[in-house]
Amino acid sequence: MNYLIQLTATGIAIGAIYGLIAMAFALVYKSTGLINFAQGEVAMMVAYLTWAFAGQFGSGLIGVAVFTIVAGMVLGLVIERLLIRPMMGEPIFSIVLVTIGLAVILRSLVLLIWDASPHPMGIEAASELIRIGNLNMRAGQVFVIGLMGALLVASWAFFRYSRYGIAMRAVADDDRTALLMGVNTARVQAVAWAASSTIAGMAGVCFAALYDISPDIYSIGLKAFPAAILGGLDAVLGSAFGGIIVGLIENMTGGYMSSTIKEISGFVLIVGVLMIRPSGLFGQREIERV
Amino acid sequence: MTTDQHHSVTGGAVKSTAVLDDSENLLSIRNLKVVYNSSIEAVRDVSLSVSAGKIVALLGANGAGKSTILKGVSGVLFTEDGEIENGSINFRGENISELMPDLIVGRGLVQVPEGRRLFAPLTVHENLVMGGHLVGSKVLAERLEFVFELFPRLKEKASHISGYLSGGEQQMVAVGRALMSDPKLLCLDEPSLGLAPQIIDEIFKVLRKLRDENGASILLVEQNAHRALEIADYAYIMENGRVVMDGAADALANNRDVKEFYLGLGEASEGKSMRDVKHYKRRKRWLS
Ligand SMILES: Nc1ncnc2c1ncn2[C@@H]1O[C@H](COP(=O)(O)OP(=O)(O)O)[C@@H](O)[C@H]1O
Ligand SMILES: [Mg+2]
Repeated sequence: MNYLIQLTATGIAIGAIYGLIAMAFALVYKSTGLINFAQGEVAMMVAYLTWAFAGQFGSGLIGVAVFTIVAGMVLGLVIERLLIRPMMGEPIFSIVLVTIGLAVILRSLVLLIWDASPHPMGIEAASELIRIGNLNMRAGQVFVIGLMGALLVASWAFFRYSRYGIAMRAVADDDRTALLMGVNTARVQAVAWAASSTIAGMAGVCFAALYDISPDIYSIGLKAFPAAILGGLDAVLGSAFGGIIVGLIENMTGGYMSSTIKEISGFVLIVGVLMIRPSGLFGQREIERV
Repeated sequence: MTTDQHHSVTGGAVKSTAVLDDSENLLSIRNLKVVYNSSIEAVRDVSLSVSAGKIVALLGANGAGKSTILKGVSGVLFTEDGEIENGSINFRGENISELMPDLIVGRGLVQVPEGRRLFAPLTVHENLVMGGHLVGSKVLAERLEFVFELFPRLKEKASHISGYLSGGEQQMVAVGRALMSDPKLLCLDEPSLGLAPQIIDEIFKVLRKLRDENGASILLVEQNAHRALEIADYAYIMENGRVVMDGAADALANNRDVKEFYLGLGEASEGKSMRDVKHYKRRKRWLS
């Protein structure tokens, strides 16, 4: 029983990391209709930049947090400005290919600037043990669950109540009509890229703080993608839940079955779910226009 | 209208617009030419103007180029690979043909697009908030009040998902949404399309009220010439990308050719068009 609870808690923690990246996928998809196949690589890049920053200026938590946010925003804005905006009007397929190219570039950059071996992130606070009843958790795991929860509430409120959030949903639904309402759709999409990269970057830094920094951090993107599909790619909140579900299932299959099954369990799950609900668990079905 | 109808329709009217005095016009389009995909000429050499406090109708059959003109005015042609090749669009003394759409809305020119184009997953209230995207929150609240007064039904349905409303209600949301920014010129693209007659009555009554009580200026694009001429002050008729006739609305409504071709009141004349009418051609030459 204790083992099950332990697996559940750590599953939710890794699921929260997937959930953050899945939210990042959903943010870009929702406001631009694109899937950013470099989402995991963006998380990796921000983690590396933050690692370099911490090596230089120390690993004080506030400094690391502020730097992560700034690095994520800047990276997102640069990608949008240099690679995505010039491609607007091209077929979606071509733009998605650009993001695949970006993924390769970011992976090579990491190898070029740094190296291929894992390093400790150097944020000691993350690995401190916390005991909750019989449960052993590391502080970083508790933190990332809390972070995802906070971002869930914040983005729910943002999309529902803030005028900019409503404008983002409008752009997602029909960007041409949003233009006619006076929305600067290019700016809205840039903001979405910045927010998406920031959230992905937070996930990357949390992951690196818990499991060391290494070039294959990008593979959390491969886990988060099915999570986003599972939640419904256009549903930011649903994607976060999708992440938790994938994390839980992975941990359960890994704990009770084998690590090979663990690796594929997420994909098996989404195939199953999509056959029953093609728009994901929380995805929006098209409203027929009257 | 006691003298020769034809003469008063074109003769008088064109003389007044031919004077290129844009200062008294809110909107004035001169020699506009629009091309799609660098090849399809959708609008050629169109000039028209809207003066403040008037409803001006832009009439014509499907494919005449009406929507293209509104897209050009709103600056959204680029989204469809369309381009203004020639001419100018002056709004309140400024050439807006190069401006981005959000700046055009900011200048006070707003459009109700063809087919309403509501943000279907958003509520009625959220759609209205979108219409006031560029105004401050104080003005937003005032405008919301104004729109709810104009269309009381929208107040009841404020929290409903707009995609599930009836066609008439959706058109009310579309008009209300455009009014949220308190525009100086309201352009509407076929607001009567697909609506039941009594709903059209309701919408058009609101347009008339906006002009008469609020001094609104309206550019009304319609295929439904009969309805549009009832409330318009002035009208232009388009065919194949060109303006083929213009004049005061009441004069056009009584014009024999207009009656025949656009109001369906004359003897059957299938396959013919305005251009086939001899005396009209003569006048056209005389004008150009
Ligand atoms: N996006 C487009 N690309 C190419 N041709 C277009 C496009 N939109 C309209 N057209 C063409 O331009 C002409 C005018 O169309 P439009 O302005 O929509 O007419 P109306 O609104 O009067 O029905 C038509 O011949 C139409 O086929
Ligand atoms: Mg049209």
